[in-house]
Amino acid sequence: MSGKAVLIVVTGFSFIFLVVGQNFGSISNRSVDNYVDYFNETIAHNIAVSGANIAANEIHIDQSWDDGYDDISYQNGELDIEVNIIDPYQNIREIVATGEYEGVSSTVRVILAPSKFSKFAYYSVYEGGSIWWTNKDTVWGPFHTQDYMRVYRHPVYYGKATIKKKLIYYTSKKKDKPKFYGGFEKGVNLELPTDGVAKLELIADDNGYKFTGEDTVYMRFELDTLKFRFSYNDPDSAVYLPTIAPNGVVFAKNSVVRLSGTVRGQYSVGCSGSSGKGNIYLDGDIVFEKDPRIYPSSTDLLGIIAKNEVIMTDNVPNHSDINIHASIYCESGGFGAENYSSRPVSGNINLLGGIIQHTRRAVGTFNQNGIASGFSKRYRYDDRLLIASPPGFPGTGKFEIVSWLE
Amino acid sequence: MGFSTLLDILGSIIIGGILMSIVFRLSDAATEKTYNNSGELALQQNLATIAQIIERDFRKIGYCANWNKLPDPTKAILLADTSGIKFLTDIESDGNLDSIHIYLGPTSELSGTANPRDRLLYRVVNGNVPQEANLGVTQFYMNYYDALGDTIYHPIINMGEISSIEINVTVENVAAYDEKYSRAYWRQIRMVARNLRNR
Repeated sequence: MSGKAVLIVVTGFSFIFLVVGQNFGSISNRSVDNYVDYFNETIAHNIAVSGANIAANEIHIDQSWDDGYDDISYQNGELDIEVNIIDPYQNIREIVATGEYEGVSSTVRVILAPSKFSKFAYYSVYEGGSIWWTNKDTVWGPFHTQDYMRVYRHPVYYGKATIKKKLIYYTSKKKDKPKFYGGFEKGVNLELPTDGVAKLELIADDNGYKFTGEDTVYMRFELDTLKFRFSYNDPDSAVYLPTIAPNGVVFAKNSVVRLSGTVRGQYSVGCSGSSGKGNIYLDGDIVFEKDPRIYPSSTDLLGIIAKNEVIMTDNVPNHSDINIHASIYCESGGFGAENYSSRPVSGNINLLGGIIQHTRRAVGTFNQNGIASGFSKRYRYDDRLLIASPPGFPGTGKFEIVSWLE
Repeated sequence: MGFSTLLDILGSIIIGGILMSIVFRLSDAATEKTYNNSGELALQQNLATIAQIIERDFRKIGYCANWNKLPDPTKAILLADTSGIKFLTDIESDGNLDSIHIYLGPTSELSGTANPRDRLLYRVVNGNVPQEANLGVTQFYMNYYDALGDTIYHPIINMGEISSIEINVTVENVAAYDEKYSRAYWRQIRMVARNLRNR
C-alpha cells in the first residue's frame, strides 16, 4: 500500500517538475528568440547599409557605374545592389541595397543627384595663407575648402562644412572650436574644375548669346532685357533675353565684362580669357527683380562665372554699399574689391548668393577703429541654391546624396 | 496495539505535513519563478519592440521622398531635450513631410499600475492624438553630440548642431511578484540619421 503511495507521490512530483521545466524552457527559448530576431534584423540592416555605402563609393569613383552586385556573400549573409536611373534628363540615380541574413531582409534606398558648385555659400581652393575665420564670421550655407580651415573664437557655419585638409585652431579647441550647425567632414576632396567656363561657352554656343572679338563688354540687365556696349561712351544696344538666349547663358569670349542691373528670370553671365581678360567687374548693384527674402516664390537666379576674377569696381556707385544677388564663380582667381587697400571706406557688400573661388581675395582692410578701406561683408546664402542652379553653372562632376531611406 | 496505531497516525501526520509543506513551498516558488520569468520575457519583448520603433523612426529623421521639400535636412529636428524629440520625416515615403514627436510622460499618469516608476511613451504624428503605449518604460533619455563628437549641453538652442544621438531606454515590469521588478536596458551609443548630413 505504502509502495503505491510513494509511486503516486514520485510520479506527481515528476509531472509537476516536467510541466514547470517545460514552461521555463519555453520562456527561455522565446527570450533567446527575441534577441536573435533583433540581432538578425540588425545584421541584415547593417549589410544593406554597407551595400549602399559600397555602391555610393563606386559611383563616386566612376559616375557611370550602374553594374550593381547580384547576391554576393557578405558578412555571412547576402548582399544585392541595384543602380537605377530614375530620371534620365536630370540624371537622378537610385541605389537599392538589400541585405539578407538568416531569412531576414532589409533594404536601403539612396537617391543621388548631380552636384553643382552653385550649392555652396562658400568654396575656395586656397584660403590665402593666413586668413582666419573669426567669431564675426557666419557662413549661412554649405562650405568647402580644399585648404586648411583656420578658426579663431568660434566662427559659425550653418550649412554642412567640409574641408580637405585640417582644422587649425588659433589657440585651442576649447577657445576656438567652430559652431557647425549643418555637420562637418574633413578629408573631402572636391576639386575646382579647369574647364567649367569652357563648358559654359559650349552651352552659350548651343542656345545662348555669345560676344566674341570684343575687349570689353558693358552689360546692364534691365529685367529680361540686356543692354550692352563695347566702350564706355558707345550708345547701348538692347536684346530681349528670352528670345536671344533661351537657355539663359550670356557669354563674352576672351573679354572683360562690366556688369550691373536688375535681373528677371534665370541667367548666367560668363567670361573667358587670360592676360587681363576673363574678368568680370561689378560696376554697380546687380540684383534680382524679386528678392526671394521678400518674395519667397521668386524664381530669379543669376550666375556670375569668370575664368579669372570677379571684382567690385572702385567707382562712385560702389563707394556706398554694393548689392549683389548671384552665385559667383571664379575658376582661377577670386572675388575681391578693386584697390581694396586704397579705396575709400565703401560700406557693405550685401551679397545674397554664394562665392565659389579659387583663391580667397581681400575686400578691404581694417584697424583697431574698424574698416580702414574697402568693404564690410554682409553675406547671406540664397537657400534656393540648395535645389536650384543658374543655367549652365559648373558642376562638381560628382553626385550628391539627396535622400537616404533605411 | 492502540499505542502503536497512535504512533502510526502521528508519524503519518508529520510525514504528510512535511510533504504538504514541501508541495506548498514548491507551488509558491514555481508561481514566483513563472511570474518572474514570464515578466522578463514580456520585458524583453517590450524592449525589442521599443528599440525597433525608435530605430526605424530615428533613422528617418530628415528623410523625404521628395527631397526638394526638405532641401536643408539639418533643419529637420524641431525640438530636442533629454526625454523628447520632435523631427520632420516622411513616414509613408509619399513625398509629404510629416512630424513625429516622441516623448516620455510623467509617472503620475500610471499611478494605477503596481510599478511606481513606469511611464507612458508617446509617439505623436503630425500633431494628432498621441499614441501611447505602456510598455513599462521607466527611462527614455537622450544625449546629443555635435559634428566633432562633443556633447551638446541642454537646453539646445540650435538643433542643426545635432549630428548624432545617444538613446537610452530602460524597461521594467508593470507588475511583479513581491515587487521584485525585473529591468532591461537598451542603448544606442551613436544613432546617426544619414539625411542630417546629406548636404
